[in-house]
Amino acid sequence: MSDVQKKTFVVTRFDPDRDQVPKTQSYEVPVEPDWKVLDALNFIKDHIDPTLSHRWSCRMAVCGSCGMLVNGEPKLTCKVALSSYGDTVEVAPLPNFPVIRDLVVELDGFMEKFEHVKPWIIRAKERAVEDGPMRQSPEELEEFKHFSMCINCMLCYAACPVVANEPEFLGPAAIALGHRYSLDSRDEGAGERNRIFRGEGTVFACSYANECSEVCPKNVDPAAAVNQAKLKAVIDWAAGLVLPRRAEE
Amino acid sequence: MKRLLLKVEPILWLLFGQGILIGTLLLTGWVLVLGIAAPLGVVDPISYARAHDLGASLIGRLVLLALIALPLWKGAHHMRHVFIDTGGGDRDATVAPLLYLLAAAGSLVAILAVVRL
Ligand code: FES
Repeated sequence: MSDVQKKTFVVTRFDPDRDQVPKTQSYEVPVEPDWKVLDALNFIKDHIDPTLSHRWSCRMAVCGSCGMLVNGEPKLTCKVALSSYGDTVEVAPLPNFPVIRDLVVELDGFMEKFEHVKPWIIRAKERAVEDGPMRQSPEELEEFKHFSMCINCMLCYAACPVVANEPEFLGPAAIALGHRYSLDSRDEGAGERNRIFRGEGTVFACSYANECSEVCPKNVDPAAAVNQAKLKAVIDWAAGLVLPRRAEE
Repeated sequence: MKRLLLKVEPILWLLFGQGILIGTLLLTGWVLVLGIAAPLGVVDPISYARAHDLGASLIGRLVLLALIALPLWKGAHHMRHVFIDTGGGDRDATVAPLLYLLAAAGSLVAILAVVRL
């Protein structure tokens, strides 16, 4: 007796040269019990329809490139087992992003958002090489470690209701990344980032929906980062009222 | 208006945050004890005179003000975001001030009420 079972995949197709609007196409796929959603898409591409375009690379939930909407939910397709779905599985590109083709979305705008939060260690004065490495205790590392586990899979942007309405919103992953650096004991740039976070379309545009943390495949909890960043930005603002202004470059 | 809203956002957010704290913890307990448990006789009701004395002390007045005013700000801020999330983002500059104005008016009434206790 074979373990092979048939499932129908309803896949969103879009060819910018030919289509005005996306359409769906169904494929019957013989699936193995241990397959992930991505295995089925690869099967379609290799054996049924080579024109299907989708993005993937590591197949182990590390590279973050295989994010898609599976039965209406943003998922890493290499991580979710097909066995958790019924006989029909719908696969569509991540919402809130322009579609390049089929299941492949444009991520330039997403990448640009990361630059805004200055995701690097900012020092008032560069450390000389002779000064040796900057040491960090395990406790200090623990402060931000989980926020640094993001793989830029964009699922949080696909799930965020604020991004859906305001494409300019800095968004969960970028804010979590900025906050991660502000929490780093080696960093001295929290003040700069707090000013950025008090700007338009950043932390205060968040409407506490928590969808980002619900869909995050790496348990980064970006919603917590956004709300901690709000508190930091507010405390920094209040401190600016009572303390003499720090020199701004 | 957008710029002004952005400028006062830290204040709005602080009022909202405190509103959540007060609204979900204290106000719920307050309503449960004084509004439900006491009338049902589950806990001993306190006399009007005693309740008045408690409320009219300085701390009592502050607690009452916080209990009434902060959840109003929390509600206004939440409703603003619900409005934005349901597609009203482009009218935020009109809706947000209205909601906050309502919260401010309610707070003013609350201040007058606790002062005159
Ligand atoms: S293929 Fe790399 S995360 Fe899925």
